[in-house]
Amino acid sequence: MNVAVDIFFYLGLALFVLATGAALAYLRNGAARMLTTEAGLLAAGGVALLITFGLRWAMYGLLPLTNMGDSLNLFVILGTAIALFIAHSNNVRTLLCFYGPALAALYLFNAISGHTFLHEQPKPLNGVFLAVHVGLAFLAYSLFFVASLTSVAYVFQARNLKRLHTTGLFHKLPSLEQLDRSLFKLITYGYIFFAITFVLGFIWAHVDADELGARWWMSPKIMRALFMVILYSVAFHTRRLGWMRGQKLAYLVFVGFGLLLASYMALGLLQLEDFYFWSKAS
Amino acid sequence: MNVVVSGLSHHTSPVELRERLHFDEKALPNALIQLRKQLDDAGVVILSTCNRVEVYAHAADTAEAPGRIRRFLSEWHGIPEDELAPTLYEYAGREAVGHLFRVASSLDSLVVGEQQILGQVHDAFLTAQSEQATDKIIGTLFQKAFSVAKDVRSKSSISAGKVSIGSVAVDLAVSIFMDLAGKTVMVIGSGKMGELTLKNLVSRGVEHVLLVNRSHEKAVRLAETIRGEAVPYESLQEALPRADIVIASTAAPQYILGPGQFLAALKRRSHAPMFAIDIAVPRNIDPAVKKMDDVYLYDVDDLQQVADANLEARRQEIDQCLRIVEAGVDQFWGWLQGLVAEPTIVSMTEELNAIRERELQKTLASLPELTEKQRDEVAYLTKRIVNTILQRPMRQLKREVVEEDPHKVLHLVKRLFGLKEAP
Repeated sequence: MNVAVDIFFYLGLALFVLATGAALAYLRNGAARMLTTEAGLLAAGGVALLITFGLRWAMYGLLPLTNMGDSLNLFVILGTAIALFIAHSNNVRTLLCFYGPALAALYLFNAISGHTFLHEQPKPLNGVFLAVHVGLAFLAYSLFFVASLTSVAYVFQARNLKRLHTTGLFHKLPSLEQLDRSLFKLITYGYIFFAITFVLGFIWAHVDADELGARWWMSPKIMRALFMVILYSVAFHTRRLGWMRGQKLAYLVFVGFGLLLASYMALGLLQLEDFYFWSKAS
Repeated sequence: MNVVVSGLSHHTSPVELRERLHFDEKALPNALIQLRKQLDDAGVVILSTCNRVEVYAHAADTAEAPGRIRRFLSEWHGIPEDELAPTLYEYAGREAVGHLFRVASSLDSLVVGEQQILGQVHDAFLTAQSEQATDKIIGTLFQKAFSVAKDVRSKSSISAGKVSIGSVAVDLAVSIFMDLAGKTVMVIGSGKMGELTLKNLVSRGVEHVLLVNRSHEKAVRLAETIRGEAVPYESLQEALPRADIVIASTAAPQYILGPGQFLAALKRRSHAPMFAIDIAVPRNIDPAVKKMDDVYLYDVDDLQQVADANLEARRQEIDQCLRIVEAGVDQFWGWLQGLVAEPTIVSMTEELNAIRERELQKTLASLPELTEKQRDEVAYLTKRIVNTILQRPMRQLKREVVEEDPHKVLHLVKRLFGLKEAP
């Protein structure tokens, strides 16, 4: 079974790298079939990674979500599904040129930094409630990730318009209005899912308060989640009320996600993803 | 038999002469009939646009055809040949084919990559076809020209980016708004350029037009003609938030809109982006507005700069397009040259089938015990053998006449198979 896990994981990686090649070819020659090829390769790569996820689940009988490698795996799977959905449903397929290479880079990073996780047994999650909490959190993270890439496209297009750089990718990208709508849709769903998962986590922490210790809510992980809720709440509500949109919103979403990713990587690599952080310190 | 083209264009002649040489749409059928008479019923097409007048013909005598076309143009338009001759270009054979393909692909146009010319070439061909003025060679030549033009457009960026100020403005608007349908455009002033830009935007789906003018009566009159809404000049600030697109083209000597007005409008629009075009000289909108996040302001120089950049980008595509054209010329030329071998191939097939038939009859006469079905099978077998033997030499012959001297090749084949020389 381990061999099968390796095969599907690296097959997925190869497909994502090829998808990046197709995206670059599209940027170079503008042939629409390259975008179709990229979409196909991303979908196939996503399926290969999903099979990896399924095989690991079947091997250990545990949801593979508890280490950084597995988390990034799920993140790439969900990100790919969301990217393909947004690109097709909003008719903004050119955005796959932004989504595909970023997802491939993340996949590659996971393969290089944490490939050993593929053969490690995942830690058990305490019940369905926690699994739903973690699953929804990843769905929200993936939505924020795709939103941050969309915001890059928005800033790129807005700056091109301001500076009158109207050749190359400019003509291939969707209008600002279309990008803004896609961005708002992604923030909306991401915020809703993250708010739900935040509440679920809060309830679970209270139920298992004895196990987590008194100062669980001060742990870096919870602080990060709180920061995320506040940040995306600001982004969602200001956009909904029309107080902020355009480049300012795009910058907020991008920088916000950058901070999230940086803190996630830092806490993961320093092994500070722990509820007992302050308890231990004291 | 070969393809020739004779004509003049914006490269070789002034507009005054092109005007005089222009073929009226109604007179074109009659002109085609007269031209065919001059060229011994050759297949012809007359292409007459504001930038060029060209006659394409599949003529029996390529040496004489250009002179006859020149005479025809001179007589038809009443312009002395001496006056016409210095501006006319005449191409024959591959050069003529290449010229048509370049024209249809808009590589020879005044504005390289413009899309109108392909439609004009298409119309010219359809008119000639409906007057039965075309033949197989001309028909295939033009079909190939359309396919090459399509290839050039799809495989290069020759038509990418707009090159006129009005269409650049529309292009920029489309990059900001998802759909121009349902958008509101406000036109301040009544400049000619503003009117042209408005027409371009309306043609792309802009539905609501607000007209602001110092003379309210003038705005009302204009609003009636385009079913717009006249807004009193004093209510400009109040109406500004309704506008997604603002076109300013007044003769005011100072700025009439600045960051303050746009900021107030944006607040009321929930920061939905605004697209502003300042076509006036001196400018009507304070350039400081350009620094605002959700307002995209451009003046005439900006639009011209984009148009120039797009034109330059098109020019850089020309080499790639010429390669596509050259490949198309090779294909058509191969096909055309292959036609030279056709009579020889027909003779060769007839000769071998005559031998086959003669030998078959002899054999069947010596085998009277064969049933009707068996006789048919033997006949079928001999046909298959002859066809199989001929297949390769026929294919090779078509290739050889393109690559080598066709007369030598055909003469050799005729001698080998004992075929009669064509009269």
